[in-house]
Amino acid sequence: VNSSTTKQWYQRRVAITAGMLPGGVPKLGRAAVYRRRALYKRKKNAKPSKVEAKPEFKTKKVHGEKNGGSRQVPVQKSPRFYPTEDVKRPLTNRRKVKPTKLRSSIKPGTVLILLAGAHRGKRVIFLKQLPSGLLLVTGPYKINGVPLRRVDQAYVIATSTVVEIPAIANDKLTDAMFKRKAKPTKNEREMFIENTSEEPKISAERIALQKEVDAVVVPAVKKVEMLPSYLRSKFTLTKGQFPHQLKF
Amino acid sequence: IQSNLSRAIFCKMLYQRFIEVGRVCYIRIGDHTGKICTVVDLVDQKHLLVDGPTSGVPRCVLRLNQVSLTDLKIDIPRGCKSKKVRSELTKEDINAKFLATSLSKKAEGKKSKALLGDFGRFKLRVSKTTLNRK
Repeated sequence: VNSSTTKQWYQRRVAITAGMLPGGVPKLGRAAVYRRRALYKRKKNAKPSKVEAKPEFKTKKVHGEKNGGSRQVPVQKSPRFYPTEDVKRPLTNRRKVKPTKLRSSIKPGTVLILLAGAHRGKRVIFLKQLPSGLLLVTGPYKINGVPLRRVDQAYVIATSTVVEIPAIANDKLTDAMFKRKAKPTKNEREMFIENTSEEPKISAERIALQKEVDAVVVPAVKKVEMLPSYLRSKFTLTKGQFPHQLKF
Repeated sequence: IQSNLSRAIFCKMLYQRFIEVGRVCYIRIGDHTGKICTVVDLVDQKHLLVDGPTSGVPRCVLRLNQVSLTDLKIDIPRGCKSKKVRSELTKEDINAKFLATSLSKKAEGKKSKALLGDFGRFKLRVSKTTLNRK
């Protein structure tokens, strides 16, 4: 079963569930299954087991006239040291870290509603999922003031509106771009001197990247009627509206 | 034999739609919301035996508040079988007549409004405000 493909696995699952009664009770009892499988009628291909027994002892030459010439020495020596207390080992972790599974409702160009953060309530365009699992979105900046930003999928509502934007292939759009730069550590003397020359809060690189991306997104947004004003507005709930009943 | 309706019109009664055998009703609450059914019998003051063979409603007992009366009525004997109900409904083409009623149209409108996405609701709001502003 380990070597079967996912399709075969699903087919097998379907077959198993088809043979089930409600409540997880199988349709055929053990005797019926035994009769049906009729393994007793089938030929058993007895394959010889190829397990090679590992030698426990090996012969080693011993020097000295009176020492018998050779001796049988165990291949694996018993340890000469045991700790006084049992050493606790952590359990094996075979987990492979993958980026969060992207919801099927979120596709490049989907309008998302941000639910938390400084831009809560705003509607933004989804660009792509970054390797960290976070979603890269843009307002676009000129329309609603949301810059290129990383956003967690859990804090987002995906609407059914999808804007046709050409695929943005930009090498700079990675997690590294958005990581906060560590402040240079000051030594004792410098700590008390105020840093008068402050660097601009948003780097020129970011602004350039924003313009580059929005140059592609904004025309696509303007093509759709009323979409720019829609992106400019904020999401609110009014009387009689309940999120679990709304279709987004 | 005067029908309830003709009696009501003659006496200028307030009510024109009566709960009677053959009355076509619109189910507003419950499993079969949105479908129409015909009253086959009355169980008590608050319950109806109802059947909708042409609209996918099985023969069942519904509460009066689950149901909304329509103008349509067919001529069937009390407690008749589903087969008879089906033949009368198809003879009168009740399904088509129901689609022409305002109730059906309003229900369609409500359904389509619920299917509006977030963008659709925004567009609706904007068009309403611009319309009202004129």
